[in-house]
Amino acid sequence: MNNKTVKSAFESMLFTWGDPLPAKEAADVFGIKEEEARGLFLELKEEYEQEGRGIVIREINGAFQYATKEENASYVEKLCTPVKIKRLSQSALEVLAIIAYKQPVTKGEIEAIRGIKCDRVMDGLAAKGLVEAVGRSQAIGRPILYGTTDGFLKHFGFSSLKDLPEIEDIDSVINLEDAAEMDLASSFSDEVTAGNEAAPEDAGQIKLEI
Amino acid sequence: MYKVKLRSFEGPFDLLVYLIETAEMSIYDIRISEITSQYLACIREMEEQNIEVAEEFMVLAATLIEIKSRMVIPREDAQGEPVVEDDPRKELVQRILEYKKFKEMAGQLQEAEERQTHVFTKPQEDISEYLENPEEVLRLEMDSLVSGFLLFLRKKKKIEDVRKHYTRVERERSSMEHRIYSILTRVRKNTDETFSFRDLVEDKKDKRDIIVTFTSVLEMAKERVIDLRQRKTYGNIEVKAGENVENDDILKRYSPEEFTEEVLSE
Repeated sequence: MNNKTVKSAFESMLFTWGDPLPAKEAADVFGIKEEEARGLFLELKEEYEQEGRGIVIREINGAFQYATKEENASYVEKLCTPVKIKRLSQSALEVLAIIAYKQPVTKGEIEAIRGIKCDRVMDGLAAKGLVEAVGRSQAIGRPILYGTTDGFLKHFGFSSLKDLPEIEDIDSVINLEDAAEMDLASSFSDEVTAGNEAAPEDAGQIKLEI
Repeated sequence: MYKVKLRSFEGPFDLLVYLIETAEMSIYDIRISEITSQYLACIREMEEQNIEVAEEFMVLAATLIEIKSRMVIPREDAQGEPVVEDDPRKELVQRILEYKKFKEMAGQLQEAEERQTHVFTKPQEDISEYLENPEEVLRLEMDSLVSGFLLFLRKKKKIEDVRKHYTRVERERSSMEHRIYSILTRVRKNTDETFSFRDLVEDKKDKRDIIVTFTSVLEMAKERVIDLRQRKTYGNIEVKAGENVENDDILKRYSPEEFTEEVLSE
């Protein structure tokens, strides 16, 4: 069976299924490897895009689904008015951003970043199927760790978590020490060295008693 | 006096970042004293406008005041020598930067969400009609079964909550007295006309309406207010004014007074 036949079959399967169809399930139908099936789906996706079809194939965490082309939204809406999904609130988006980038993450860590409690927001996000408990932290009290779901990817149109917009130098955000400290410490160390010439080698350290 | 136009803030850091940005300060060199008084002014304003200020806003206010005091008063050790410590603002700066990053990411997510509102997909198709084995339909994952069940429970609870506060009330259905009154009005207006029983049944025409009309008609026929005639079995019943059609005494026996009076006054 050649690739063209398999791809053609995949199209029929996507059409019948509706929901995102996991590459694994499609692969099982032909007794091929999941990776191979995924490759064919991606080829198919590429073909649709190149031909500028009104249907696109989108990937959600290794599953594939037909979706309409974004540019055609106004025509679809003229034909029928799809139910507008309620947008997420600003606080929900903030909490979601923290979970998406730092997962797995505890509620305490989220609250530490935002400086405000987030129980209700978390409940809302969980009820919408955007986040879920993914395990428990080893920390005291074994707090629940949260992560995002496939529903999250679907809601924002991401293929996988790798698709998230880049946080510029996220590491320096989280281990801020470097950038911020250098600035602060350098201005501080001037004072220190000015005050006590005897200990210049300690000038860069964080705590220094004279 | 700082005039601050209040908008809604997602939390204490949101407010702080807003103030720092409005004052066009560098995050790495926050003028703590200035920012602290602005921050406190905002909280006061919120309180004046009866906005409930979350305790978390107070926590950050306390932190700001602490940093301010540490920057003003140099610490001394037991010997009275000044203690040089880390810039008291350092930790705050880190937290602000981290918060700002995620706020920025939240904005990006919002844009992604916005774009997705222009994309339509199909839900899981109902393929049960293509399936021979009905058990295939039940090939669900455990969590979708659980969430389905939870949804069912939530719906049920909602309905019960609503029921607790409301009772089902139905409009009182018309009684025989009402029906006799309305039939009589029609017959009296036109004593020569023959009415069809079917036309006398009022609007809804459900079983009860027909029964009420039928018993009313029988009652009226018994008192000879009207005459009835049915030409064949199961055929239509014809209704005509009877010899006692103008006799109000008979009518009084069956009708509540108010109706009787109305009929009499016509």
